Amino acid sequence: MTEQQKEAKPKKRMTATRAAASIGPMVKSFITETLQARAEGKQKLAYTFIVCHHEEILRAMDVIPIWTENFAGVCGAKRDAERFLQRAESLGLSRSLCTYALCGIGFDQWREELGEMPPDSPWGGMARPDFMISSGQILCDPRSKWYQASQQFMPDVPIYNIDLPYPLFQRDQDHREVWGYYHKYIVKQLRGLVAFVEEQTKKKMDYDRLRELVDLSDRTWNLIDETYRLRKAVPCPMGTGDAMNTMVPICFMMATQKAYDFFVELKKELEEKIAKGEGEVENEKYRLMWGGGLPAWYALNDFNYFNSKGASFPVETTYRMVLPLYEMDIPETKDPIEHLAWRWLGYWTFWYDKARKRPDSEPDVERLINWIEEYKIDGIVMHEAFSCRTWHVGLIWQLHQLGKIYKPIPLYVIGKDGKREIVMKELPSLILESDIIDITSYSEVDTRNKIDAFIETLESYRVNRAY
Amino acid sequence: MRPDEVFFKIEKQFKDYGSRARQLHKEGRKIIGYVCSFVPLEMIAASGAIPFRVRGSIQEPITLGDTLLETIVCPYYRSCFDLSIKGRYEFLSGLVIPHACDSMVRSYSVWSYSLPYSYFHFVNVPTVCEESSFEFFEEELKNFKKSLERFTGKSIQDEDLSKAIQLYNKNRDKIRALYELRKNDPPLISGTELTMALTAGSGLPIDESNEWFDQVIAAVKGRGGSPLSKGPRILIDGACIDHIELVKLVEELGGNVVADTICNGARDSFPKTEESKDPIQALSRRYLDKLNCPKTYRANKAGTFEGDIANRFGDIGTYAREFRVEGAILYVYKYCDPFGFEVPARKAYYQSIQVPMLHLEDTYSAGNLGQLRTRIQAFLEMISR
Amino acid sequence: MTSYVAGIDIGSTMTKVVILKDGLITSIIGPTGPEQRRLANKVMEEALKKASLPFSEIMYIVSTGYGRMNVPFSDRQITEITCHARGVNYLIPEARTIIDIGGQDSKGIKIDRSGKVLDFVMNDKCAAGSGRFIEVIADTLGISLKDVGELSLQSRNPAKISNICTIWAQQEVAASLAQGVKISDLLAGVHFSLAERIGRMVSRLKIEKAIVVTGGGGRNKGLLHALSEVLGERLTVPEEPLITGALGAALIAREIVEESKKNRIDLKTKERRLEEVEIL
Repeated sequence: MTEQQKEAKPKKRMTATRAAASIGPMVKSFITETLQARAEGKQKLAYTFIVCHHEEILRAMDVIPIWTENFAGVCGAKRDAERFLQRAESLGLSRSLCTYALCGIGFDQWREELGEMPPDSPWGGMARPDFMISSGQILCDPRSKWYQASQQFMPDVPIYNIDLPYPLFQRDQDHREVWGYYHKYIVKQLRGLVAFVEEQTKKKMDYDRLRELVDLSDRTWNLIDETYRLRKAVPCPMGTGDAMNTMVPICFMMATQKAYDFFVELKKELEEKIAKGEGEVENEKYRLMWGGGLPAWYALNDFNYFNSKGASFPVETTYRMVLPLYEMDIPETKDPIEHLAWRWLGYWTFWYDKARKRPDSEPDVERLINWIEEYKIDGIVMHEAFSCRTWHVGLIWQLHQLGKIYKPIPLYVIGKDGKREIVMKELPSLILESDIIDITSYSEVDTRNKIDAFIETLESYRVNRAY
Repeated sequence: MRPDEVFFKIEKQFKDYGSRARQLHKEGRKIIGYVCSFVPLEMIAASGAIPFRVRGSIQEPITLGDTLLETIVCPYYRSCFDLSIKGRYEFLSGLVIPHACDSMVRSYSVWSYSLPYSYFHFVNVPTVCEESSFEFFEEELKNFKKSLERFTGKSIQDEDLSKAIQLYNKNRDKIRALYELRKNDPPLISGTELTMALTAGSGLPIDESNEWFDQVIAAVKGRGGSPLSKGPRILIDGACIDHIELVKLVEELGGNVVADTICNGARDSFPKTEESKDPIQALSRRYLDKLNCPKTYRANKAGTFEGDIANRFGDIGTYAREFRVEGAILYVYKYCDPFGFEVPARKAYYQSIQVPMLHLEDTYSAGNLGQLRTRIQAFLEMISR
Repeated sequence: MTSYVAGIDIGSTMTKVVILKDGLITSIIGPTGPEQRRLANKVMEEALKKASLPFSEIMYIVSTGYGRMNVPFSDRQITEITCHARGVNYLIPEARTIIDIGGQDSKGIKIDRSGKVLDFVMNDKCAAGSGRFIEVIADTLGISLKDVGELSLQSRNPAKISNICTIWAQQEVAASLAQGVKISDLLAGVHFSLAERIGRMVSRLKIEKAIVVTGGGGRNKGLLHALSEVLGERLTVPEEPLITGALGAALIAREIVEESKKNRIDLKTKERRLEEVEIL
């Protein structure tokens, strides 16, 4: 406890990199841009979701995306989501549902009722869209229910719902047996989106421009991958805390030169840090993986708390929404829409072959194993956000399965005969519990107690490690 | 059989759910479990295996299941998992899970790695209802067929499929006939009896299920008169409600449960498969378009909110008229995103058809039902004066 | 000849009895009893004593409230929602929205001019939405429950209680107290927190005036102040906010008796015994 008392708790979250520090203003500026565009009325605005592989289409048609998940996250980070959540609740929506969506629907209903932004809206508020692009995937139910629910309060705003399925991992079937018809379907869905946006904007798609933007994104994908791989360095130059900032260009700015340039800069910065031997934490003792779950946006300070204990996060599964295209086994095509569909399938099936080769492995578990080895990980931290099933169901089992098939740590223990022997153990893990933006589910004291106990475990593993 | 014998059997079959399947398993038949109405049962039946609906238990506390599956999963589905992992359905040879909701999709690995069955399959049902999604779903159904063929070692012919489609259509006709008996005032069959009879039927092979419903219909008709006294006529709106506690409570408090939209009721039993079409095409249409589940996004073609809800929830209005419904209970499980997000719109729809509605959120545990008692009773008092 | 009827409202902490003939004969409030909650019959006995009536004189009894089931001496059980509506309508005919704040739960009820229920909401059985929340915090602060309302009104600067969960809120209050936050500010904060929670629940009904507060919450001036602020509306409280449920039950009992007389139906009230009530 004395050690804890000595540590100053930073009020504002510290970032390790300049690049991550530049993100706040960047988000503020693209939210401001949507508000300006709304006022000017020249460009069309669309509500939409991240991870739909459709940014290229929107940008090629000069549609400005309003990332509704982002706005909810901003409300959460500013600790100002509660009043919107309450409004949603008063409409009859249960607090157990996705709180991003509740926040968004509460906000929409309020804005529509007032005919203007709710008082003191975070960063000026979320602009009224011209249309909404939702997405039924095999990923997230709220994505196809949220805008439908919001439409009750703005029935004049049309919705296009793109279906983007991918083949689920089945142990007895190679996904390539089925992905042909998946591809055909996704292509049709994306072409449907193009037709919808053409109708809404009264413009024709410029396919040359689309091809250029797809190419730009592809290059950005590979660049992000190269940049993030630099975090394998010991000490690690950038952690998950920062990655929760640098997810912004990945998720909200893809298919823009700005996103590409951002990662050029970040890569340079990381290379410099590595050359100087500069780590996220001064004295790196433990290397942790953020192995699942969206962060509690109002409590990103917890990453600093980990750092203060000598723990760094070289890798996270969350918001790593890109993978190296050159490692994907997907067919070549000149058609940008067909390419987008292949890229979608390539992304989601990336770990399937490897998982099939290791007995009792599974893609999500396989990814954990690979990154544990590549990033020299000592422990895994996950976050269970109660309101989101998409990213948080299956985490407990993944840890369970991982422990069952993968025991990489040689630990000295005292055997039955009182003699020291070596036992192979699984990685220690920690599950934090709260929510993405519902702060009433979070207890700082409780969270930090859990972190302290976990650090003690890591320390005992470090001390008793055989080799 | 005498009517009272049949009613006794209904209760017994409900309580000993799975006993017939267990017996058939011992005789060497392959029993394939499924969850949710989106699994095309005709395909399983055509393969020679017997589909069996996996149920939860509202009485049994979830224990073992919680060590592997998050508590933010739909409580009904968690209960199904808990019972499965405790070995309640050890007679199953396999399990089929469809793309219905996140709880099912995101936990597919948890099921397929934790249970000892030799066959698992995931049916990817599209989220939208368009020409391209029907085409996709036909391919997905063909893949399901292939996977079953691999498992059973027997190829499925079109005739097998057509025959299964006919048998299932017959089953739906019989269930529909049973629902007709609810139109009397008071209904000739109570909601509690009907739920138990339907549940019992879903644990039997389709031909036996058809015979079963013949017996039930004959018994209800033979009984002459209703087991209930007149009371407010209630429609139950919700997802899969495979327990009888809610319906029983409503009827104990004086209501008559006469209609529903639930998965193990009208949602799954009313829509039929077209017999004249190519069987795969016909199944694709039925399961994707005709099953009215909030999981499927249906485009707002009307351009107005009123028009949209009339399209999406029109079946509720039809049932309300047909069964002379006086009040509805919208029963939604906590953590159910597909239904949960529709509560305000459904509320508005009930207002538009002037049917009073009570919204209940439940956690699928018998202990919690007491909390609902006052609400249900107050609602019945409210609509019966 | 009119007969005597009674309404008994067995709440989680208090039992209320109203005896009616043409007008109100007597009303009485007593504890439901602690753990076993078996004292409800004693309250009825006291009411009878107060009215100098033998039990056999009561023609019809309606029980309501949390413990309405299994009351061996009642003829019919009706929910407190319907009963509050009738009771409040009788006392305050212009009432359109009722907010009942009890020890165990709270409710919002919308009624029409005749006292008929149009819609209602109830909180989940969770201490945070009920009077129990205040009780727990008062206990933490070592303040008598009777004084919390008045004390909270002295606050100029209500503390912000961010935790909704009662247990966490309790910890939060204890921590704030240690940091020197004034008790009155903490109490005001706690009242606002509960008021917001209730306000949010009630806002699911489209609130119409006049708004009447019943139940134990109606006796807490601090809570009434906070709730009025949260809703931005004036609140009306009946002279005795605890008895509206029992009154409504008695009114319904009288109606049943009159109705049966009119239709010449023999009201066969079952053999009743003034015995202990088992709730748990």
